[in-house]
Amino acid sequence: MEITGQYLMNLILNGLLIGFIYALMALGLTLIFSVLGVVSFAHGEFYMIGGYVLFFLLDTFTGLNPLIAVVLAGLATFVIGFIFERLFLRPMAKGEIERPGEYAILVTFGLAFFLQYIVLAIVGPYPKKAQRFFDLPTLDLGWISSTATTLRIFDIPLSAARLTAAALAVILLVIAIYFMYRTWTGRGLRATSQDKQAASVVGINPLNMSTLAFGLGTMLAGMSGAALVTVFSWVPAVGVPASSKSFVIIVLGGMGSLPGAMLGGLIIGLVESLGAGLLPDPNRALAYKDAFGLAIFALVLLIKPTGLFGREL
Amino acid sequence: MNRSLLQWIMAGAALILVLAVPLLLSNYPYWLHVAIVGFFYAILASSWTLLAGHAGQFSFGHMAFMAIAAYTTGILGRDLGLPPVAGIIVGTLLSGFVGLIVGFLCLRLRRTYLALFTIAFSEILRLSLNSELDLTGGPNGLHLERLLETTSRVPYYYIMLGLLLASLAFMYWLARSRFGLFFRAIREDEEAAAAMGVHVVRYKIMVFVITSMIAGLAGAVEAHYIEFITPNILIIAQMSLVIAMAVIGGIESLVGAAIGAILVQFALEFLREIPLPEALMPWVVEMGPRLEAIGLGVGEHGILTNAWRLVVFGLVLMLTLRFARNGLIFPIIDRLFRQRARKETVAKRVQAGEVEP
Repeated sequence: MEITGQYLMNLILNGLLIGFIYALMALGLTLIFSVLGVVSFAHGEFYMIGGYVLFFLLDTFTGLNPLIAVVLAGLATFVIGFIFERLFLRPMAKGEIERPGEYAILVTFGLAFFLQYIVLAIVGPYPKKAQRFFDLPTLDLGWISSTATTLRIFDIPLSAARLTAAALAVILLVIAIYFMYRTWTGRGLRATSQDKQAASVVGINPLNMSTLAFGLGTMLAGMSGAALVTVFSWVPAVGVPASSKSFVIIVLGGMGSLPGAMLGGLIIGLVESLGAGLLPDPNRALAYKDAFGLAIFALVLLIKPTGLFGREL
Repeated sequence: MNRSLLQWIMAGAALILVLAVPLLLSNYPYWLHVAIVGFFYAILASSWTLLAGHAGQFSFGHMAFMAIAAYTTGILGRDLGLPPVAGIIVGTLLSGFVGLIVGFLCLRLRRTYLALFTIAFSEILRLSLNSELDLTGGPNGLHLERLLETTSRVPYYYIMLGLLLASLAFMYWLARSRFGLFFRAIREDEEAAAAMGVHVVRYKIMVFVITSMIAGLAGAVEAHYIEFITPNILIIAQMSLVIAMAVIGGIESLVGAAIGAILVQFALEFLREIPLPEALMPWVVEMGPRLEAIGLGVGEHGILTNAWRLVVFGLVLMLTLRFARNGLIFPIIDRLFRQRARKETVAKRVQAGEVEP
């Protein structure tokens, strides 16, 4: 296989498109970690549920605006996350649980197991895939042209489904950043993540902020799943690689760092795309796409365990 | 009668019962098989308990180390004609070696990193085993030679039981020795342990390597019993089941985890099909499509539970963690075999620096 500049550009662009969604997903996980100090091992399962909710919404209500469906999918995962936090994580914050660090790891892992199998029991193991949200207009302007399914820039094909998903992710990222840095609640979340006691002194309830952070984190995961169900086919186990990807991203970006999660998502998207595209055997490429992430994980642990933007441990 | 004599009698009776099981089950080879697999999971769950409950290091890669040893002996046997026993030894050593590398990477850091890394590691291992068709057979799996030249399951029952008892005895000795004291000190407070002169990283790596090798040994022997292995042993459900077994049994009790594993394994088999009276069967068959729509199925004598039985164990796992940190089995053992001083339990201690009010 010959590697041309055009092929390389293709890999880079497609990697970046997926990277935006990884960034959105990892932003949710890092938000949860920054406020609760808990890594949610069920993060990928919320991503999986978001995708299924969107698929069944569009399947049941034909003509439903896909954007509304994405929001509804986010709301659904928000509610599940909210309930779980109230029932299982809030007792931890109130000091009712002994050795909370260990408890948090195990109970979120138990949640992952529970969610994955309840979805399997309900929807079955057969892959599902949603239709792309929008058709592109047919254009031909020389170097840029498009058909309903594909946009071509300098003959580099970008699929409509991926473009829509990435555009959606960028919009949601902007909203999330605005929320976190410019609204009272968002600042409250960040204040809680920096110092719980100081935050409560100025009138922020850390318990409510924890519930909100967990709900919002799972909502971001659900929305990234809802955006990607048009790109990948969906099975109940689809959350497992998504979880490990989010872990790699937040460790790379620095656990609890919001900018780190975004930059990390883009980097992992790029590395995966380039790594898989440059492997000669497509069968293996699919498996080792994720192995590149693990290699980065190992490198970060060796060289700089705090990641790109991490606080000192 | 004094209490300790009674305890010895009970323990002796339990041992005789366990040894006599093959005679009792001689007409039910399937249940003998379930018992053997139960022993296999008991080894995994109790070694995971040593790592997580005693040393406080949470690994989600226990099945990965088990699979490394099983695949190693399988591949060496197929390509080099290595006899199973030699393959099992090489596989176990390789599990320990990979455990050393992973431990070196992760155990210098906070405990969350080990959990994060091992879950990613075992997912990558699963994908690689699936795609390296020439080496591993991919999703179709790998055939292994059988360990013994017999079709009877009885010898395997005693081999797996012996392995379980030997590893329990070894781990019990380890947990009671000064190493065990170091592990628990590290679990409670790493800085304090280090200040008292415990070489924290060295002992964390040591317990990680030891438990990885025990998992590897069990996996390699099990693979030569089943004669077949696929990458599917690495799916999240398998690791979750081992954790559910350990948590239900008692996360700080080696024996509790082992008993929990055997009971969960039998429960999973019993729950496969909920038996119903014959009179209700026509109704069940009629309801078939509706049952299938919610993930149930129609069996020969009742309703198939399919994935729902795993949902039940996921729920039990979460509820046990929340409301019964000492597990469901350990409190019973503790009551029967209570020593003069009450044993340490999860509920009694608070880890310094981790509770944020």
